[in-house]
Parts: sequence; C-alpha cells; structure tokens
Amino acid sequence: MKKRSTRKAGALALVLTAALAVTACGSNNASGGEGDAEKPVNLIWYTIGAPQKDTDKVMAEVNKYTAEKIGATVTMKQIDFGDYNQKMGVMAASGEPMDILFTASWAFDYVQNARKGAFMEIDDLLQTHGKGIVETLDPAFLEGSKVDGHNYGVPANKELPAQSVWRFNKQQLDQLGMDYKQATTLESLEPFLKAGKEKLPGVLGLKIDTNFTPTVPYDYLIQNLPIAVALNGDSSKIVNVLETPEMKQALETMHKYYKAGYISPEAATITSTSDLDKTGKWLIDRADTQPLADNTWSASLGYPIVSTPASESIVYNWSVMGSLQAISANSEYPEKAMEFLNLLNTDAKLRNLIDSGIEGTHYKLTGDNRMENLPESKNYDMPTFSLGNVMLTYLNPGDPDDKWEQFKQFNEQGRPSPALGFNFDTSKVSTELASLQNVKAEVWAPLMTGTVDPAAYLPRAIEKMKAAGLDKIIAEAQAQYDAWKATQK
Amino acid sequence: MNGLAGFFRSLNRNKAILLMVLPGALWFLIFSYIPMAGAVIAFKEYRVSRHGFIDSVISSAWVGLDNFKFLFSTNDAWIITRNTLLYNVVFIVIGLVAAVAMAIVLSEIASKRMSKLYQTGMFMPYFLSWVIVGYFAFSFLSLDKGLLNQALRGIGLDPVNWYSDPTYWPFILVFISLWKAIGYNSVVYLASILGIDRSLYEAAMIDGANKWQQIKNITIPMLTPLMTILTLLAIGKIFYADFGLFYQVPRDSGALYSVTNVIDTYVYRGLKTTGEFGMVTAAGLYQSLVGFILVITSNWIVGRVNKDNTLF
Repeated sequence: MKKRSTRKAGALALVLTAALAVTACGSNNASGGEGDAEKPVNLIWYTIGAPQKDTDKVMAEVNKYTAEKIGATVTMKQIDFGDYNQKMGVMAASGEPMDILFTASWAFDYVQNARKGAFMEIDDLLQTHGKGIVETLDPAFLEGSKVDGHNYGVPANKELPAQSVWRFNKQQLDQLGMDYKQATTLESLEPFLKAGKEKLPGVLGLKIDTNFTPTVPYDYLIQNLPIAVALNGDSSKIVNVLETPEMKQALETMHKYYKAGYISPEAATITSTSDLDKTGKWLIDRADTQPLADNTWSASLGYPIVSTPASESIVYNWSVMGSLQAISANSEYPEKAMEFLNLLNTDAKLRNLIDSGIEGTHYKLTGDNRMENLPESKNYDMPTFSLGNVMLTYLNPGDPDDKWEQFKQFNEQGRPSPALGFNFDTSKVSTELASLQNVKAEVWAPLMTGTVDPAAYLPRAIEKMKAAGLDKIIAEAQAQYDAWKATQK
Repeated sequence: MNGLAGFFRSLNRNKAILLMVLPGALWFLIFSYIPMAGAVIAFKEYRVSRHGFIDSVISSAWVGLDNFKFLFSTNDAWIITRNTLLYNVVFIVIGLVAAVAMAIVLSEIASKRMSKLYQTGMFMPYFLSWVIVGYFAFSFLSLDKGLLNQALRGIGLDPVNWYSDPTYWPFILVFISLWKAIGYNSVVYLASILGIDRSLYEAAMIDGANKWQQIKNITIPMLTPLMTILTLLAIGKIFYADFGLFYQVPRDSGALYSVTNVIDTYVYRGLKTTGEFGMVTAAGLYQSLVGFILVITSNWIVGRVNKDNTLF
C-alpha cells in the first residue's frame, strides 16, 4: 500500500510537470489545411463592445452562412470598451490564439501594435483574398492606414474626416432667443455664455470634463501630447502646441470663462458629465460630428440638439484609423481570415446579420434596405462602427434615404492633414515618453479646462515637459518627419 | 544510492505533512517561481513574434538597462521614491500602534457580543474595493455637494477645493488607509492575545499589578514576536504602494501629484498608452529587488537584537 502511493505521487508529479511544460511552451501548429463547406476552419475573432446575451445564437446563424460561402466559421469574443486596451495588450503579447482582432487609434493602438509585431502584414492578402475590400473602400482609408508603407488592418468604411462642432441644448438656447450659427471660435461663445449666466440660473454654460482640450488648428502626432504639426501655414515643422499663439489665446479664454463661472469648478477632475446630459441643465458643449449627428444626439439625449462647426473638416491619421479589423500575427488561417473580412465588408446579408442580429428575432425589414428593431434587439446591441463597412447596414426609421450619400459627401469635403500618412515611431524615445506622459497627466487637465491661470502655470508646465525630455522627442519626430516628407511626392 | 534511498524513506515517513504542503508549494511554483524567469523581459525590448510567448521573449533584442532609465530620469523620480517610502513607513508605524492598541481594547471588552460587533464593524471596510472607497471619500470632499464643504458653509467658512489643494492629502490618505486596514490587522493581534496563557494574568493580579502594568509586562512582550514578523513582512513591500489608494481616492487629480504620485501610479501613467512590457517588468523588478534587500537587512538587524524574533 505504502509503496503504491509513493509511485502514484511520483506519477502525479510527472503529469503536472508535463502539463506545465506543455502550457508554458505552447503549441503552434503550422497553418493547417484549407477549410471548405464540409469541414470549415474556425476563426477566432476578438472585437470591442459589451458581450451580448444572444451572441452565440447570432453566431450560429453567421456560421451556417460563412461555412457555405467561404468554408470558415467564426467564434466571436467581445471585450468591453473599458477593458479592451489592457486585455488585448496582454493577450497579444502572450500569444493567445486569435485570427482577427479589432484595433483603432483609440483602442489597442493600431500603429504601435503593428510596429510591435502584433498584426500580420496584409499587402498581398488584400490583393489575393481581399479584392472586394480594395474596390469598396475610399482609397484614402487604405492609404492613410499604412504603417511604414504597409497595411496591417482593414479600415471600416465610415466617416473619414473629423470635425468638431459646438452643440447647443436647444431648450435652453430658445429661452435666450439667440442664433447659434453665430458661434464659430471659442471666443465667439462669450455672448451666449454671458446671457446664459444671467438668464438661466442653475444651467451650466460650457459643459466640459477632464478630457477637454480646446480646438486648435494643429495635428497632434500623439494624442494629447503637445507634439504637433500646423494645419495651416508652415507645416514642415514639428512644434510644441503649448508654445503656439493659438493655444495661448485659447487657454486665456478658458481661464476667463472659468473665472466667470461658465465652466464647472470641478472640470479638471470630473471624468464624465452624464449627470448633466440627463438633467439637460447645460447650454453648450463640444463634440465630433458626422452626417445626421444632430438627429442621433437628439434621439439619444431625449431633447433637441443643434450644432454648428467649431473647426475645419480634416482627415487625420487618427480619424482614418478610427476602426480597423486586423489579422493577428499568430493567425493559423490568414487567407480564410481575409476572405471573411472581405465578405464582412462587401456582403450586406452577413454585415447586417452581425450588426443587428437575426431577421424576425432581433429586427424586421420594413423596406428594401430599411429595418426596425424588435424588442429582442436589447439582447444583441452591437457597436456598428466597429464591425466593418458601415454603408452596408440597413437604415433605421427616421434616416433619410440618402444617408450614405451624405456620408460620401462628408468624406469628400475633408481636407487631408499635412501629416496624413506619417506615423511617429516612438521606440527610440520611450523613456522620455513615459516621463512626459506623467508630466502631461499632472499639468494638462488644469490648464485645458481653464482651472489655473495660464500666465503663471503655462511656463511652468512647458518647463516641466522640457525637463522630461520633450525637446528630444520633438527633435526625433522632426527627423522622422523630414525623412518621411522626402519620400512623398 | 544510499542517500537517494534515505531521501525516499524520509519522504515516505513525512508524507502526510508533505501532502499538506503540496498545494501551497505548487501554487508558489506556478505563480511565483516559474514567472520569475520572465524577469529577463526587463532587459529586452519586448516584441511579439508569431510563434508564441516563449519565442517572443527569446527573439526580442537585448537593451541592457535602458528599460530602467525612465524610473530615474526626471525630477519625478525623487518625488515618487520619497512618497512611496514615507507613506509606507507612516502606514507601518501608525498601523502597528493602532492595530495593537485596538486589539488590546477589544480583548478587554467584557461583553463578548459587543466585542464581536465592534470587530465586525471595523472589519467591513477591509472588503471594500478602492473604487468604492474613492466614491465614499468623494461624497465627503466634493466641492459643491460634499458633506465637509456643506458643514464649512454651515458655520460660515469658505468651502475648500479638496481635489486641487495638496496640503490636506497626506492626512486624508493616512486616515483612509488606516480606516480600511485596522480591522483586519487588529484581528490578527487579537487572536494572538486570546492565545496568551490566562494564568500569567492571574499571577500578575495576585501580585497586585494593575491593568496598565499587565498590558505593559505581559501582553506586549507576548505580542512582540508577531509584531516583528508582521513588520518585517511589511518592510518587504515598502517599495510597493497601494495603487487603488493613491489613484482612485484622489481621483487622479493632477494638482495633487506632488503628494499622491507613487512608484505604482507613475509606472501606470507613463506606460498605459505605450504598454512597453519591458519597462513595466523593469519597474516591477526594481521594486522587488529593493524590497528584498530591505527585508534581508532588517531581518539581520532583528537577529542581532534577538535571534528568536527573526523571520528566517
């Protein structure tokens, strides 16, 4: 008896070590045989958004369709917006099996992760298995989402430029009897805010939170770090935005508004203004627009919103890279993955199935390309912009027939930023960047929200950033930018 | 061979105890010892290869000590080191005194039911997440709706913008940290006090010792070994700051960084957008190394004073 239990323990130990060795080393099969309708291959797809109750149900339908069409099935795994960066970062770095994944300039950073090797280069795959994508997309999307000359992701066909607008809460505005079209610059808001302060007690003039940065005509190379290229005038120099006359003036105006009580005294620390959204006790705020945005905002807030441009319509890197699906570097079936992305961006049936769910269960068709949500749709509510070609999706009740025409027009109006296509490679300055991020976290919000006096605070902030290595980062960016400019034309 | 046979014989003789150790040992092996090999990432520029994690580590380029530079390169290096060390020293000292005092008070409460009630009440905050504690604090400190400012207004004083004035935060942070941890720590000491032989107190009482003399001459000396061990363990973590306390409770307010920025929050803010794994690993390795050195040193000092109280 005694002998046997020792042997058992020994065997157990062996099994455990073996199991450890296997999990530690991981096993990566060479790319397997191609699937067909009989024996489809399975693609693992990570995308952004809150996991939905009916995802499995819908994906079962999707798989029936895709198995027949391209010989592949998909397992969709959703990660919520707040967790996406961190979870994908760990999963991609540790080699978790996956084939397709969502990436963007604002979530699981597309450019940086392409450089770190997380995505597969898809230049050839696009030509061989992704013809439909190349034909459908505005060429600016594929051109603008190149990293060091190569494509690493399939951009969603959606709005291309970005434009800020001043949004007015129409209920409050009507009591002032003023014309919102008069608002253009930050300075032009003063009469509205002044009248609001006098006639609308308890209503906040300018609704901003800790993420607010005044709009200035510069293209930031890294979001919210003051390293930027001027949109107008001399666009050959990389400048520190905090030292530009436009930013200085904007900060002075913000501080004036803050002192006058047009801005919440807690603006520098509050992360959300959803309480004001609910009560409607605000007059003006700023947002990024797209065609028909006023309707969407009015519907989601529950009271009428009108808006007027606060900036030019510009095509930036980050607006082109607003939503992409990439193929993972460790994908076992890259060709199938590209075929699936091709279908997703060209096939209205598949696109709407993944977007809105099963016809008759989650939605009903009310016209050729028009639909209406059914009550069940609450169990399958997906972020439309993240799932490929938006212009294939059915229209909602209230959308005009020419909705997608308006999008195309909007895209044509956008002027390309001088730095469009230039992606700053930060790997040589990552030490300085980490220090700068800390300084930025400390000084940015109080300045941008007008909470502190720029006359005293701005020079100190600039000095701190220089101490953290801002000049070295700008010099490195300038060298790369010059080299990039030389390759253009 | 003889040695091996002897090894197996002793293995067999102690198998009941060894089996009890097994889960813990495996846990440490899997979650502490094997991952230690990953510390090598601290000296590499980590890049993903398509053949999995191990291959990525091997194929990434060596960069020497480059990954450590960001921890020391600016003025912030001094601030975060100072804040981390000073706060932890204060937490250790005040935490020890308060927990022992509270444990003694609890052990002296005659009514068993009341004693349990106080214990449970003090224990509760330990289970709250820092996010929730952060909102508790906000409900007191909010500029326009906070309880404190309403009270200040009530007695005719000017409200304070708590989240942009660093002067109060060292006290607020120490208070909140103490409030959250004291229940848990005092229960550990309470258990030890209840294990002290009652006959010692009876003998002391017969000799005419009063309560204070009993505490000073019996309770505290009996608690000293436990106090030393727990303090030594705390010193090992002196370079780790409680992230939730320093990030969630001050609501990440930039104006407060001079007194709330610690190593952990600095690393988080610096790397959350770039996600350089090499630099994150370097920060962790640095913290562990300093902790390791401090534990070894303080253990050695304790050993010079009294051999019985050392950790190992």
